[in-house]
Formats: sequence, structure tokens, C-alpha cells
Amino acid sequence: LQIVAVLYKGGDAATEEPRLLGTIENQLGIRSWVEELGHEFIVTDDKEGPDSVFQKNIVDAEVLITTPFHPAYVTKEIIDKAPNLKICITAGVGSDHVDLNAAVERHIQVLEVSGSNVVSVAEHVIMSILLLVRNFVPAHEMIERGDWQVSDVARNAYDLEGKVVGTIGAGRIGYRVLQRLVPFNTKELIYYDYAALPEEAAKAVGARRVDDLKDFVSQCDVVTVNCPLHEGTRGLVNAELLSHFKKGAWLVNTARGAICDKDAVAAALKSGQLSGYAGDVWNVQPAPKDHVWRTMKNPLGGGNGMVPHYSGTTLDAQARYAAGTKSILENYLANKPQEPQNIIIGIEGYATKAYGQRK
Amino acid sequence: MSVLAASFKRNIASAKGARMLNGRTLAPTINHNSSAGLKVLAVLYKGGDAAKQEPRLLGTVENQLGIREWLESQGHEYIVTDDKEGPNSVFQKELKDTDILITTPFHPGYLTRELVEKAPNLKLCVTAGVGSDHIDLNAAVEKKIQVLEVTGSNVVSVAEHVMMSILLLVRNFVPAHEMIERGEWQVSDVARNAYDLEGKTIGTLGAGRIGRLVLERLKPFNPKELLYYDYAALSPENAEKLGARRVEDLKEFVSQCDIITINAPLHEGTRGLVNADLLKHFKKGAWLVNTARGAICVAEDVAAALKTGQINGYAGDVWNVQPAPKDHPWRYMKNHLGGGNGMVPHYSGTTLDAQARYAKGTKQILENYFKGAAQEPANIIVGLGKYETKSYGQR
Repeated sequence: LQIVAVLYKGGDAATEEPRLLGTIENQLGIRSWVEELGHEFIVTDDKEGPDSVFQKNIVDAEVLITTPFHPAYVTKEIIDKAPNLKICITAGVGSDHVDLNAAVERHIQVLEVSGSNVVSVAEHVIMSILLLVRNFVPAHEMIERGDWQVSDVARNAYDLEGKVVGTIGAGRIGYRVLQRLVPFNTKELIYYDYAALPEEAAKAVGARRVDDLKDFVSQCDVVTVNCPLHEGTRGLVNAELLSHFKKGAWLVNTARGAICDKDAVAAALKSGQLSGYAGDVWNVQPAPKDHVWRTMKNPLGGGNGMVPHYSGTTLDAQARYAAGTKSILENYLANKPQEPQNIIIGIEGYATKAYGQRK
Repeated sequence: MSVLAASFKRNIASAKGARMLNGRTLAPTINHNSSAGLKVLAVLYKGGDAAKQEPRLLGTVENQLGIREWLESQGHEYIVTDDKEGPNSVFQKELKDTDILITTPFHPGYLTRELVEKAPNLKLCVTAGVGSDHIDLNAAVEKKIQVLEVTGSNVVSVAEHVMMSILLLVRNFVPAHEMIERGEWQVSDVARNAYDLEGKTIGTLGAGRIGRLVLERLKPFNPKELLYYDYAALSPENAEKLGARRVEDLKEFVSQCDIITINAPLHEGTRGLVNADLLKHFKKGAWLVNTARGAICVAEDVAAALKTGQINGYAGDVWNVQPAPKDHPWRYMKNHLGGGNGMVPHYSGTTLDAQARYAKGTKQILENYFKGAAQEPANIIVGLGKYETKSYGQR
């Protein structure tokens, strides 16, 4: 059968660093294994437009492997052109780049390597919170310029201690964020989620649930977004919601770019309604050269902690999701059952409870 | 000044213990407390416009720790400056009749032995912050000058800065952010040198107040192991609570660590401790964080180790001399991939939250001194004629 994988280009880095498994050069480390089993394996980073290698080869593919760091957007239109497609595997976590409703209609399974980079992303969240609250970027830039003016960076630098931190989403990543925040002695840890944490879990981190989203954001000094992108979360953080944030709050989004309205965030940062915004996810990836999140700043010229989408593709994480992708593929080829937590869409439809509330 | 005022000044100035508060105001003499009319000199950093726009920048020359009114109402003279380098600086000129010196690590007035000799009235040094190595402590002991600091005022602030620095080095943040600013997108170029903190061995050189707070914050990150090196062992309760194992040999210690964080004061036992010889014993590609004092690491040796890749990254906010010169190697040093530098000016302990605490603590120390009340023992680095602290080396 034909397996198509859309991964990111590694270039020289991939040759020099073989642990960059998630690249088109290193191909998740599964080429020889797949070929020995007699299957065809097409790997590309060329994904945009009808003439791209992805869109031309999807027509024959039975298995599609994608990755959030360079996502092949599997729209309904493309699914309609892929009559043989039976399974989509996300090498990583987060499968919103696949039209999940369309997959359900066609009985196409969608699996991801659950847990493969949840710790990686949680670490990136903590790092982002600290670098925003503590005003790191302007301080580092000052050193690079040859300057030294402590007051200019201290004036917008705070401790995380004693602040109220809230997570939108208390799933695998959100909960790990809460766990890592505990020793920082925050004033409070709160969460917003349609599913409540089990009582012992909430108690273990001392997190309080807030039922109303506007009320939730109005209580937070720091808001961190840790939920999947679906109909219920697309554009959730818009100008209206931002107006309910505490003035000068910090916002971190390592979930999916499209959960936040990009222009509303840029405007809020510019006005000082937000003191800072950081994260590694963008509404479209790769992000265009002129994407407003590259250059937006707060009134003091800081408050921007953006990076490309890489938090879940550290060398440590790649090893895990490459191994997990192989495992999922192995189960599929051998008709063996999958790990339940990896199944986003099963043959009967949505198996996950994480991508929005459904009847 | 009128003839009358001038003669008034001459008469009063000859009276024992009397002082002019300024050109027109006589300090009260009805207060027979021996601490009436003292001269307090503070060396702080300049705030400029920032200090006017942000009054919470208390540690600035403009906002003066918020204690001017309070000091003057008690009849003391308060001189505040950021001008500290050279014999013609306000700092060095005003020392000659200063009774109390307030300094701050973020813009330190370096009180050398030579300057101590020129300050016959100096009785008390107060560090607005934590870390008093910018004062020649041995000279202070000899001259019976007390040295106090606001212990604990920014220990959490610094521990947070350590955590941030470790994460940004290990996760390769700076090159990733710079890539975005340049308009580029090449995931592999940043992922190739990005790791998770989970599963790494992390060691702290120094398990004092800050070191212990760092260990606490590291625990939920699921490191492979937490280690420490210190001439004082953790109490059994702390060792168990923090889950940290002691390593008694320094070379052995560094050779086991993926990440090393320095959390010790600067004194004779730690100056230049991390030099080329010790760096050779680090794991190749280790990350090093120093938020303690710049001079604990040899500047050129660290730069060289970063360049060769012996260390993968170095970050911190402390420099062997502050302000750091424009051409200091730590500003521009990089690893072989053009990253690995997380340097910032010395500000981790002077966040707005921390400044409020150390300004308040400085005032409290002065208040105790004026009233002859006992000081918090933890604040006393040098008491009358001897070291009180156990942190600044084994004596």
C-alpha cells in the first residue's frame, strides 16, 4: 500500500544531526522497515497548492502521516480526492489540521501519538510564562546592543510568585503545566474546562475551577491556553474576551494559533491591555514573513516571546513520536488494536473527548 | 546665605554631634540619641524617565528607596548617587564623613580596602538586596564596620530567573525567537539543538537559600537526578524533601551534570572557581547558569568553552564588573550554532516585586540601627569585628 508522509525539511541540520527524525531527510527512521514490508513510502515537505507533492500523491495514499510543525492541511476537498485514504497519523499531538468531521463521514481513522510531547510543551509553557513576566527578551537585547540600563528592564519585570495563573484546558498538557507551577508559590492556580479535573488531581495541584470564561480571564495575571483547536475553541480569544482580561496580563499560547484572533492579540499588546504574548503556534504554518505576531510589541517595546512551532519537536520529543508513529503504523498494518488514547477518530467516529463536547 | 545664618551655622557646627541638614536647615539637636544627625550615603542605579513613570522603581537614584522623608524627619543627612567609579566620583568623595553606606548589587559601589581606609566614620554598610561581596568584608571586620543585607528579599526572584535561564538554554529559545524576528521559519535549525529538561541531571553549586528554592522548582520537571555541591550538607529533612544527592568532589560533581546552576556567594573560596580546568571536567555540551556573581566564573574561559562546544550554553545576569563594559565577551559569545547565550543585565533581584521588599528591609535595618534594636540574625553578614554569616566561606 502507499504511505505518504508530510514532514519538515531538515537540510544540512538533518544530515549533521541524525536525531532530527521528523525531517524529510531522516523520515521518522522508518523507511527501511516500511519498504521491507513491501509498502511504498513517499516523504515530502511540499504541501501547499494542488500541484504540491502532497496533494498530487494523496490520490493514491492509504496511509497519511502528518506533523503539526509543518502541517499538511487535510481539508474536506482533499479528502474527497483521496478515495483510498483509510488512516491519518499525526506524528505529534494535535490533529486539527485534518478536517475531523470529514474524516468521520468517510470512516477515515485519525490517530496521534498521545503523550509524545506533552511534557515538552508544558516545559515550553513555563519557560514562556517566566520570560514574559520577568521581561527577558528586552533584557537580552539590551546586552546584545552593548547597553546597560537596569531600570529600563526592571520597570516591567515581575516575579511569578504571588500571581494568579489560569489554564484554558486542564487536559494532559494543562495539568502538567499546573504541576510545574506548584512550587512557584503563585497566589492561585485556576482552570477553565468543560470537563472537571478528578477531585484528587485538582487537590494535588490546588487548582480551582472557574465556570465562566469571562470571569476566568478577569481573575488571571497569566493566562495559558492548553486545549485542542476545534469548533468550540477557534477564535475563542478575540477582542471581546481580551477586553475582560486584567490590564497588563500575560498570555501564552502553545496550543494552536487559531484559538486566538491574531489581530486582536496584536492590538491588545500594542495598547498594553496585554503586557506580553508568547508561544510557538500560528494560525498558518509556516508563518508568512509579514505575520503580525513576528513584530508586535507592548508600549515599552517588549512583550513578544514568539518562536516557530518547535516546542513539541525537541530532539527528545522526536524520538518519542517517531517511535509512536511506527507503533501505530505497525498496529494498523497488522490489524491489531490501537492504544485507546491515541484514537482521535475511530472507524465509528469521534473516540476522543478532548476535541469539544459532542452528543 | 545671610551673615546671620552663616554665623549661626559656624556656632552650631562647633557643637558636638550637630549637623546641618542642608544649607538652611539645622538638624535637630534635642534628640540626644547618639544616632542623631548621621550621614547616610546611598549608591543606587539611575532610573531616568523610567523612574518617574514607574514609581515602584524604588531602588533608583530618583526614588531613593522611598526613605528620604523618613530619614530627614529624624535629622539625618541623605545623599544618593549613581556616580561611583574613580576618586572624583560622588561616592568616593562623600565617603570621608559617611556614617552609613547603602549599596545595591545591581550597580555596586565597590567598597575596597583602600576606600574603607578613607572612611573613618563608617559604621554600617547595608546592602539593598542580597550579596555583599562588593564590600571588602575582611576590611570591614578589622575596622569593626557592620555589614548587613536584606536576606531573603529576592531569593525567590533569583530562583525564578534560574529556572527561566535553564529552560531557555536547554530549549534553545533565543535562536528560535531571533528566527521569528528575522522573518524566517526553519524548524530543523532550532530543533536540532533543543531538548527537554525532563530526564536531565541538574546540579546546584551551593544549596543555600536560593539553591534550595531552585531545587524545589525543579522537582516537578522530572529530572533524572538533582545533585548539589556545598561545604554544608542539607539537613536530612531537606535532603529528603528536595530529593537532592550531595556530591563531595567538585570535579566529580560537574562531570555528572547536564546542567549546572551556581548559587553561592562570591568570596575567596569561590572567586574564579569555574575556570578552564574545571570546565574540562564538565560533560561536553552541558549548560551553565550563573545568577550568583560573575567573578565565580572566569570570563574568558567560559567564552572559550562556549565557542568550542564544551558547554552548549551560558546564561545569567551577573558580571565580574558592573555595569558590564560594551565589549565584555559575555555579551557576544555564542556556541558553534550561533546560540547558547542567555545573558541579561543584573536585574533578576530587582524586579518591581523584589524592590518593594528590599527597600522595606533596608528601612527596617536602619530603624533597628537607630533605635539600638537587635537586627534579624540572618541579615548580619559581618557583626562588630567578626563574620556572623556561615555562607561566605568556611572560617
